[in-house]
Amino acid sequence: MKGYRMYLVLISLALVLVSALGTGALGAGKLDPIRIGLQAPITDQWAYEGEMAKNCVQIVADEINGKGGILGGRKIEIVVGDDQGSVRQSALTAQRMISEKVVAVISTYGSSVAEPSATIYEREGLLNIAYGATAVELTERGWKYFFRTCFKDDHQGTFFARFVNGTLKVGNVAVLHDNTTFGKGLAEAARVSLENANKAKIVFYDAVTPGERDFTPILTRMQKTNPDVVYFTGYYPEAGLIARQMRSLGSKAIFVGGNAAINDEFVEIAGIDVAKGSLTTQEPLPIHLEFPESKGFLDEYISRHNAPPSSPWPVYAADALKVIAAAIDSTGSTDSKVLADYIRNEMKDLPGITGPIGFDSLGDRTGAMYLAYEVTPDGTLQPYQPYQP
Amino acid sequence: MVLFIEQLVNGLTVGAVYSLVALGYTMVYGVMRMINFAHGDFFMIGSYLGFTLISSAFLGRTIPLWVALTIMVLFSMGGVGAIGIIVERAAYRPLRKTSRLTAVVSAIGVSIFLQNAVMLIWGPRYRAYPSWSVPDVTWQVGGIYINLMQVLILSISIGLMVALYFFVQRTTVGAAIRATAIDHDTARLMGIDVDQIIRLIFLIGPALGAAAGVLLGLYYRQIHFTVGWTYGLKAFTAAIMGGIGNIPGAMAGGLLLGILEMLGAGYISSAWKDVFVFFILILLLIFRPTGLLGERIAEKV
Repeated sequence: MKGYRMYLVLISLALVLVSALGTGALGAGKLDPIRIGLQAPITDQWAYEGEMAKNCVQIVADEINGKGGILGGRKIEIVVGDDQGSVRQSALTAQRMISEKVVAVISTYGSSVAEPSATIYEREGLLNIAYGATAVELTERGWKYFFRTCFKDDHQGTFFARFVNGTLKVGNVAVLHDNTTFGKGLAEAARVSLENANKAKIVFYDAVTPGERDFTPILTRMQKTNPDVVYFTGYYPEAGLIARQMRSLGSKAIFVGGNAAINDEFVEIAGIDVAKGSLTTQEPLPIHLEFPESKGFLDEYISRHNAPPSSPWPVYAADALKVIAAAIDSTGSTDSKVLADYIRNEMKDLPGITGPIGFDSLGDRTGAMYLAYEVTPDGTLQPYQPYQP
Repeated sequence: MVLFIEQLVNGLTVGAVYSLVALGYTMVYGVMRMINFAHGDFFMIGSYLGFTLISSAFLGRTIPLWVALTIMVLFSMGGVGAIGIIVERAAYRPLRKTSRLTAVVSAIGVSIFLQNAVMLIWGPRYRAYPSWSVPDVTWQVGGIYINLMQVLILSISIGLMVALYFFVQRTTVGAAIRATAIDHDTARLMGIDVDQIIRLIFLIGPALGAAAGVLLGLYYRQIHFTVGWTYGLKAFTAAIMGGIGNIPGAMAGGLLLGILEMLGAGYISSAWKDVFVFFILILLLIFRPTGLLGERIAEKV
């Protein structure tokens, strides 16, 4: 018994010593880190995107910390919350972020996923910046704490209509979406723009169910309408299957994906024989970014992970962190209200990796930029060059 | 009409895969009166094992297609069968004397364990079978397009199902399985090693699921560690439709489910297809609570 008590005393002493040493060694001037949340799909179907976002954010955080941090030497610490790309998990992750007492959150990939968490952040008054949520309606609710560093879908829909009428010059367009907030929003935006332009005709407009593997029934029906172009506004797992099954049904239509449909995985799933020649309307890929900040960031990313980020989204997460850090530094505050006011009203042309960053009164980023890409025979994406005789 | 038959062929192909998976549910239920919720994951692991084998240097493009296919199917059937036996020993046998609910919870635990294990081993990304696995050959028969993979799926799965049916109906071991399904204690009194039979069931069921997994991987080419849940649910539905515990019922249920799905998606709406399928299931269960071929089994007291 006595030995036991002695043991306890020793342990407590050791603990006291360790903590004393700890604070001593770190120095009295050492300040608490500033904790910033990253809500992203780290596991499950979009794990690929989540992982790249984490990598990107970490690079920016390391860069800022390497330069001495913000607010007079405070380091940035990233708190990662995994929303699994699911609507239900998104709300739970948001609750967790709030109990973790982060200063602001970078949140998240997927408009349907961002919706529940943004609602919670708004209620709790926590600054949140989405990096891959492009549905138009997200910024139409008068949310005060919601921003996004990505551009919204109606810009992309307009771009698609211009591209179909101006560059591809075809007659029949089929539009397929996947009933998600994002997919449906983009499809609607494309439909409205095409109808307003009144040139190419929409011959088929329908939805598929995400998570399915067999789309032959709906594609057989689509095939009957003889589309020249098929625009799929959903995500890559379905896009790869649709492109492939469309071909085996004998379709010769050009497959155009929205900005979540075409990436390495699309090429792998569809197979290069099918994937080559597919097009996509999207934000410029990281490797095609030509801003002063882009090059150094990409070099760092490649040296850490051996390849550049394969989709545009994770880089917007990096820019979201830059926005938050810049706002904290300029206002000298970590209060979400102060930060949100600053970002909305005063932030102009912040040099970001994806170009100068500024926001309009809704919280949308100003100055949209899209490109059409083509999948080349070696499976990479290159800016689309229309065939010129 | 041509369109209808094309949808029918598509439905049969998908349905054959459902049938193979459904057999696992129905056999385990028949012998143990327990729903093995981890069964969908056996199916998923099967497709991953096949993927590993075909993308390995060993199978590469060096040997003829049919040899490679046979090796692949047998290898993943064997591998998943072994996993099935381990799971039974580790997660179900210790609970056999407790309530059925305990075993179901244990099964869900196994399912989560297997999914996460696969995610950690093969990574969270979608994986794709190489495009040269099966050549893209399509035949036109009376205006209907049928491709090589559909023929392979139908023939392999129907072959396996026929073999299983004769095994259960015509052999001594099959008779022992049927006896165990009726009553464990009486079977034991007749000199049947019930533990051995249950082990056998956990070898055959997962092995059939694994074969379905490989076929699915070859057909759609895209596999993911969450696929077991979707297909498990569908196959479970098929087993219920056919009458759970009944082997020909699971086969019929799977094919019917596949056809209903394709017709629903082709003629109603892709997005409403599941609503259509489950509506038919509810109707079926109202008029035939035991499923298509299920017989009324006296509940044990």
